[in-house]
Amino acid sequence: MSNRNLRVGRVLRAGTRGFSIGCAVMQPDIPAFGSFVRTEGQSPGSAIYGLIYDVGVEDDLFVRQFISADAPEEVVLDQRKNRQVPIEVSVLAVGCNDGENIRHCLPMQPPVTLDWLYQCSDEEVRAFTARFDYFRLVLEAREVPADELLAASLRVAAAAQPENERETFLVEAGRELARLLAGDPVRLEGLLRRLRNV
Amino acid sequence: MTLELSSLTGQVRVMGEELAARQRQHADLVMLAHRWLAQYADQGERLRHPARATRAAIPTDEPLNAVHPLPAIPGRFTVIAADGSQIQPDRHGAVLYHLINIGSLVYRHGSGETPEAHSEPTLGYTEADVYENGMLVAGNLLDVRRDLAEITRLADLCAVEPPGPTVALADGTLILWVLEDRSEEWRRARVMAYLDQLHRIREAGAAVAALTSRPRRAEVTRLLHLASLEGDENRASQEPNPLEHLPDRAVFEPLPPGARSALFASPSSINCDYYHPAGHGVYFYYLNLAEEGRDPVIARVEMPAWVANDPDRLALVHASLVAQARITGDYPYALARADELAFISGPEREAFEDMVTTALLRVGVRPALSPKAYYKTLTRQGRRKHRV
Repeated sequence: MSNRNLRVGRVLRAGTRGFSIGCAVMQPDIPAFGSFVRTEGQSPGSAIYGLIYDVGVEDDLFVRQFISADAPEEVVLDQRKNRQVPIEVSVLAVGCNDGENIRHCLPMQPPVTLDWLYQCSDEEVRAFTARFDYFRLVLEAREVPADELLAASLRVAAAAQPENERETFLVEAGRELARLLAGDPVRLEGLLRRLRNV
Repeated sequence: MTLELSSLTGQVRVMGEELAARQRQHADLVMLAHRWLAQYADQGERLRHPARATRAAIPTDEPLNAVHPLPAIPGRFTVIAADGSQIQPDRHGAVLYHLINIGSLVYRHGSGETPEAHSEPTLGYTEADVYENGMLVAGNLLDVRRDLAEITRLADLCAVEPPGPTVALADGTLILWVLEDRSEEWRRARVMAYLDQLHRIREAGAAVAALTSRPRRAEVTRLLHLASLEGDENRASQEPNPLEHLPDRAVFEPLPPGARSALFASPSSINCDYYHPAGHGVYFYYLNLAEEGRDPVIARVEMPAWVANDPDRLALVHASLVAQARITGDYPYALARADELAFISGPEREAFEDMVTTALLRVGVRPALSPKAYYKTLTRQGRRKHRV
């Protein structure tokens, strides 16, 4: 995972529960499903954290012409690098930072249109996942593939830990899940199975 | 108020019937044109002089019905396309300005490189930009500026292109269309500026061509009518031409995929008066851009004399246009992209107008729409009618 302050794109639409980002082209190191991202909050120094739960490529009539044809390499590169094929990234809000403390809750105010969305650094991910309170927000989100998203975010978070602490991190995450999903053993088993594959 | 579609149903039905009848007539006319093309194929030399006088396509040394198959497509060559669009000045708007946006694409076939895409807007807002000899720069005046900007972009890109077979490609025509109500001096200055850019392209070692998709010109059909009257220009101007409304492209639909027609010289007065004396006389042919097994897609291709008379450049233009069209199916890829890069969409136009308004407010100028423009913003927001 990258430690750079990588820009993902700008906010297109936003609400308290999440927001959508527009970006022009998919770069290899643009965050993928389950990545931790951050945008600035309304007050100075504050931030809103989220998890990417969907990446969609918008339809484009011109590029469709080349799907079935054997397009030359130059055309493929032109379509990928020069043409602004719109990509929308959907983010579930899972926490915020008031400048001093990270809290796992929905933000008081959503980000503003055209705010930049950044990929979180490993340090930010470690700070955010020092507690697991955000699990509940993900598990209760109806509009997202919650179990897949939580497992993917834990894979990302484990990778941000020092190598000798990754297993401990995942075991603790598993314990928290067992507590939250004590009444739903089938769902818990599915999630733990996903975590075992990390 | 909105368009009353119900009032148009009768007219649309009659229009459909009229078009169907015209199509049946069209088939007869196409047969006549094909017969004349074959019958007078070797009359080019005799028709050359009267063709010039009657503004018909001027034959070259090639038989009128010549068919040139697709030449070998080179492994490596470059196509540079440019196209333009503009925002016309709005005298009801907050401020008077125009904008020209030129899009271009440099596509190096066989290189495996990413094509170079550019989009360059130029804003005209000073007194000198907005008025020319006391006239508002709009309509044909602005078209001329856009055409000059397009050909200048092509010449600039050709000048920096590494040596190798290169084709500069414009959309439409190479003949600068200047209204005849302008002074001779004004027209000459504009046309010469355009020809200077053709000269730069030639000096850069490139070829240049312009392509018209679905052309409506009827210059070859006029030539065929003239031929049927034994080249008598007086009779040609007096007697009705049965092919008058038949576009040239219909005559050349039998061209095999990738093949071109004979070359002709353009009879345009600007071509004769300015282009030919400067060595850039414009020639044209018709080209079938369709792939094998598809319906013909006939385009008109124009090029200056120094391309038409150079077998290598002529073949390069022919091969490169077909190679480009085969990427999309029937239209040069680079031209489609140049158009896309030049196009100013409705939302972009609105965003730009907002930018202008904000910039004016920052410097203390309060822009105001005319009352007419203001009420248009109110009445055109949404219609109080059911959607159809």
